[in-house]
Amino acid sequence: RGPAGRGMAAAAFERRVVRRAAEHHYLRVRLELPDGGARPNAAQFKQLVVTALRELHGEVGAALPVDILTYEEKTLSAILRVISSGLVKLWSALTLLGFYQNRRCAFRVLQTSPFLLALSGNSRELVLD
Amino acid sequence: HVPLSRRYVLCEVVSEDPRCRQCIEDRTLGLAVRDAITRVHGEYGLACCSISFTVKYLNAYTGTVLLRCRKDSYRLLCSALPFVRYLESRAQRYPCFLNTLHVGGTIRTCQKFLIQYNRTQLLRLLQNCTNEEERQCIQKSLLSCSLTEQQSQSGDEEEDDGTE
Repeated sequence: RGPAGRGMAAAAFERRVVRRAAEHHYLRVRLELPDGGARPNAAQFKQLVVTALRELHGEVGAALPVDILTYEEKTLSAILRVISSGLVKLWSALTLLGFYQNRRCAFRVLQTSPFLLALSGNSRELVLD
Repeated sequence: HVPLSRRYVLCEVVSEDPRCRQCIEDRTLGLAVRDAITRVHGEYGLACCSISFTVKYLNAYTGTVLLRCRKDSYRLLCSALPFVRYLESRAQRYPCFLNTLHVGGTIRTCQKFLIQYNRTQLLRLLQNCTNEEERQCIQKSLLSCSLTEQQSQSGDEEEDDGTE
């Protein structure tokens, strides 16, 4: 940190450089159910994600540590966290999932980032006056 | 520098049920291995491993099986082999397991390993003999072991650049 000396307007700053790749990746996803019907709750949503992984990547895929950090039942959108080495498996599994309880469904991945903070702002939905 | 690299996985089928030997054939084994890959690695794993996957050699008497797969997906195949729990034929299931003996880059290296392995197995059988008659039989088989060079070359002659 820069020293804040007396009488000097020194800006105290700290610079951190992280060379290592991040451990986790965060995805903001939305589930689309075009045919309507009952909405899944958080546990059923997690079950759906694990089922998608199991279909495409087997038991090894289903054992991937995936966490649902937030879930909104009204909009069916969630923030998922997955270990970085499993990002490709998770994303491909979500892409290829076609059915939830015999109804058509689709996962839309809205944002993804190795930093959770980056998901708070979305320049695609930015409205400029 | 070889564009189409393959790996040959040598394993043996171990079962307590003597009827299991009868259903060791390429179709039943191929289905059992494919089913295990689907369970463990999903559709992606099955599709990956199925590219140039075959059962190359079978020996129902000793339970030896030689599988072939792509070099890129042999780890998927090898990690799924312990999950084969039974062989199914004619609507009957016989419990068994697969023991991986050797992974080689060519059929020839696997053959060399198999000859060596069979030799040591015969020696071990000789030590575990209880009957004098069995002992004589095995001694005779051991003394008649030999490796003969064939004139024709097999089609998969490649350098093996890494065996486990």
